[in-house]
Amino acid sequence: MPAEDLELQRALALRAVAGGLLRLRWLAAATRFELAMHRHMRALKYNPDQPRVPRGNPDGGQWTDAGGNGNPIAQRRVRLAGDVPTNDPPEVPKERPKTSGERVGWLKAAARMAAEHGIAAVEFAKIYPWMAYYAAGMQSYNDSPRTLEELQTQAAGPGYDVHHIVEQGQARDEGYPREAIDGPDNLVVVPRIKHWEINQWYQTRNPEFGWQTPREYLDGRNWTVKRSVGLEALRTVGVLKP
Amino acid sequence: MTTAILKNMSVVDLVGRFADIAVRQYEAALIGKVAVYNALIDQMLAVTDELRSRPEDQRSALVPLLVHPNRQVRLMAAEFTLTLAPTASRQTLQELSDAKIYPQSAYAMGTLRALERGDRKPT
Repeated sequence: MPAEDLELQRALALRAVAGGLLRLRWLAAATRFELAMHRHMRALKYNPDQPRVPRGNPDGGQWTDAGGNGNPIAQRRVRLAGDVPTNDPPEVPKERPKTSGERVGWLKAAARMAAEHGIAAVEFAKIYPWMAYYAAGMQSYNDSPRTLEELQTQAAGPGYDVHHIVEQGQARDEGYPREAIDGPDNLVVVPRIKHWEINQWYQTRNPEFGWQTPREYLDGRNWTVKRSVGLEALRTVGVLKP
Repeated sequence: MTTAILKNMSVVDLVGRFADIAVRQYEAALIGKVAVYNALIDQMLAVTDELRSRPEDQRSALVPLLVHPNRQVRLMAAEFTLTLAPTASRQTLQELSDAKIYPQSAYAMGTLRALERGDRKPT
């Protein structure tokens, strides 16, 4: 082969390599850009394909989950758009959370999502196997409010807990007798996750109590006030009929 | 955020900060992070105190948040506009209560019941 041809072939090969490298570099840049956009969209929780409620409806303009992929839970995960997180259900961890605090938090969130969207607890357990153990508790979360008599006479089966209307820890610390604390008048059977919500309510600052927590407000108050607030807690979380 | 920083913020920015705090409360409440939720109350009270201290009580600037897409933002906006927009704020609380989605429905119901009983005197 003449020297000129060899030189030409080498130049063409180099150009091909350079072109390939250039194309690879371009692809890498494009991929980086695409990933950045995904991260950005995820941060904004933006899905341009997600349908909106038509104008004229009470929720007109807001995102809807209609037309999802058929999985009722997946449809209801991260879904609303805009630069402010709205009412997005969070991404439930696939693995069992390490701490009981995290597990309780996620179970409460999942139970609320299930109740809100009419999804059976067993459906959650299919996707999040660690939740199967708590399925009875998640199912009982859907119970309708009951009368005080019903709450005091029903059995504490799976998914239910015995709850003290006047909180036992505070009452014990303030010297109330055990027979009053554990008396049938002070005990009700409530859905387990509602029980956790009652505990959360007692610990959460609330304008009704001057932005104190109910527990702080009740510190040192008499049995009648404690019981009245205890019954209000049951009504508030939807366990006791108003 | 210090009081001095809040003093230098515009009303629009304070309203934005209020909404941001409420959204973080929403996320904390959703997974039971009570300590985080409670700590955010102080931040929110600092913002509303600053709005209240402005001429003509600028908490009225929170009224548009009564229709915010996030229910915790609506709840908190209603709590802080009860004296300035009583009809609209009570309507928002009623809607939240009727929705029966804990915890916002619970707090909305609690406030409505306290108002009915006369136990809650909005300021």
